Amino acid sequence: MTTLAGPQHATRWARTTRWLCIGVGAVAALTIALGGASAHGPDPTLSGGPFGQNQDLRFRWRSGSEPTATIKTAIKAAAADVNTSRGSKAATFTYDASGSNPIGYGIGATCGVNGLACFSRTVPTGFTMWLREQGHVFDWGTLKWCQAYTTPPSGCYDAQTIALDEFGHIEVLNHHDNYDNDADYEDAVVQTFSRTKPTAGWNMHAFGRCDVATLQRQYDMQSWTAKYSTCLDLTTVLTLTASPTVVALGGTTTLTATLTVADYDSYVRLGGNPVSGRVVTLQRRAPSTTTWANVGTMPVGASAGTYVLLQRLTADAEYRAVFASPTTEGLDGDISPTVRVYVGGCLGAAALDIAIAIPCY
Amino acid sequence: MVEKRWLRWIGPGVVALGAVGFIASTTNGAGARPWTPGACAGPPSARIEAAREVVPPGLADLRTTPWFRLDPVLDAEGASSGRRLAVGLDGDQTARITDLSAESFAAGPFGRVVLVGSDDGTTSDLRAIDIAAGCSWSIGRERAVIRRATMDPTGTEIYEMRVDRVSRADLGIWLRPTDGRAEAHRVLAPIAADGRFGRTYSTEFTWDLAGDRLAIQSCGEAACRIRVIFPGGGPAVTLDAPDLGLLIGLDGDRVVTYVACRGFPCPIVSTNMESGQRRVLAESAGPAVVVGTDDGIRLVHEYGTPTGRALRSVPLDGGTPSDLGPLPDGLDLHAGPARADAATRIPAGWILLAPDGRMPADRSSRRPHLRHIPDGVTVPFDEAAR
Repeated sequence: MTTLAGPQHATRWARTTRWLCIGVGAVAALTIALGGASAHGPDPTLSGGPFGQNQDLRFRWRSGSEPTATIKTAIKAAAADVNTSRGSKAATFTYDASGSNPIGYGIGATCGVNGLACFSRTVPTGFTMWLREQGHVFDWGTLKWCQAYTTPPSGCYDAQTIALDEFGHIEVLNHHDNYDNDADYEDAVVQTFSRTKPTAGWNMHAFGRCDVATLQRQYDMQSWTAKYSTCLDLTTVLTLTASPTVVALGGTTTLTATLTVADYDSYVRLGGNPVSGRVVTLQRRAPSTTTWANVGTMPVGASAGTYVLLQRLTADAEYRAVFASPTTEGLDGDISPTVRVYVGGCLGAAALDIAIAIPCY
Repeated sequence: MVEKRWLRWIGPGVVALGAVGFIASTTNGAGARPWTPGACAGPPSARIEAAREVVPPGLADLRTTPWFRLDPVLDAEGASSGRRLAVGLDGDQTARITDLSAESFAAGPFGRVVLVGSDDGTTSDLRAIDIAAGCSWSIGRERAVIRRATMDPTGTEIYEMRVDRVSRADLGIWLRPTDGRAEAHRVLAPIAADGRFGRTYSTEFTWDLAGDRLAIQSCGEAACRIRVIFPGGGPAVTLDAPDLGLLIGLDGDRVVTYVACRGFPCPIVSTNMESGQRRVLAESAGPAVVVGTDDGIRLVHEYGTPTGRALRSVPLDGGTPSDLGPLPDGLDLHAGPARADAATRIPAGWILLAPDGRMPADRSSRRPHLRHIPDGVTVPFDEAAR
């Protein structure tokens, strides 16, 4: 007997390997598909790439294979779930009787022998989707859609969740790679194994954080103030400038911090993004000392990703900006390089552009 | 001799297609008629002979080639109330319709024969229908549920996959003679439970191109395991990589499968069962078939282009792919029966293109076409079968 090794079991989370495993493009997607991804990262991607940002994909019911009324309702609800939980500029789905993308049910489904539903995606033009019919018989037994019952029985599948899973595939998402014990199952709707009532996750009606993470990487953020999925672990870059760097005694300087996502290829569309609306703190210390003191939170600047605070100085000072790792999103904190601002003397006078009676040496 | 065997099995094993130009107009139109085949007369040897006929060597022979198609029948609530089997010969203008239970299947064609299994909730009935003769005979009745069946290349043996009626537990693969001269016996144990694959959705049989090996594929929700046995049973070679999906074809030691996708596009790989070596045949493919051609065994698959979809042919040994041109509007490559729930046989070196990759649903649908490999010559199917 020859038993061939499949992908290695998920390794425990490690930041380095995690990012090594974040594939981009078809080749990387294929690598993931064939070789497995590290556990508990953003969902892998399918080949073919994403649709356009905020592209509105309009679907209709397939002629001759229309879903039942309750399944139609579930599919429309799943489309709304996409639109409200995508957390990105991922494509949206809208029912339109004249839409170009058919969704079918039962008759004529070409899903193959396995699975509850299936899809095809042809970027950038469109997609198809099928759901099996209620009562379809598999080796394990008979398919029950929860929507077919007034009181859904145990063992039924939630059609809204399954349709949301399919919409996620159509976007670009491949099956999430769970921990061995599936403790992170609810981090993604797009799963290899669908769950039945009442197992946790059987009726998820919003993308999970690791679905959203990949949607954000592939489609970008809706705004620079929007939160990054906690399934991401993005390095940020915080810089600080002072203008001017030399002031007269009692003069002021403008300290401007700029926060961006590090521009790594693996971050796909997120690399280099300005990060606005976060808490960036300015710290100060006297030159040649080691202790930093908080000056205060830097107000948001006029430009995306900037934070600005004016300082009046009576002595030379060193400044740095601090962005602490937030607990509510997937950004790593960063501390800017130190900036020194000089006060007084010839340098200060020069900075103020005033006449000097005594030559400076 | 070898070539003849290959030729015979290239149809059911590889093409395994079911799109026929006039079928749409018959399954739903005036040409369809309910049908209950009568009992076949004659000795068992004649029945076996019916399953031995060769694949059509030329397009003109398509007129006597059987086809079948299975569709769910839904009640007013949209639930499955049964399945409708349509059968016929490519040269007929009339499809014959038989209603089956919700738990039913069809397999083949094997020569002139289509195997049909149907379970009424208490008993599974397995029958063989000689499409050309318009008759059938019983293969067997079982208390266990017969989920799938296939016929061996000689037409003398039937392989069945069974599950327990109550627990739905896998009962393994069973073998019985086509002529009923002996009881069925188990030739392969139930496949072991494995959390990497989940519960089994379907078990499918696929013969290799030479008819020398039988692949038994057990699929979970997305991933599949393959066990390959030689005729009569014997030790199985198992491929249980959970990143592999549906089987497309089997050629000697090589299995051609999708990876464990739930939709298209999906990568296709060739895996050597002995060495475990893999070769990526297509990184982003749609429906696909493994086809015998004058230029060797090739994978033919759909792929996306900036302007639509097209067909590509890839040698299984990883040679240079060749493009077969764009798909005609409204037509898809007709895949094997595990995907299409429909099948017929076509001559070696041809592929079949049909609406939605299976038989058209009504008269207004596009007519299926045949396309030749590797030159891409395309002809309407019903004209070829005329």
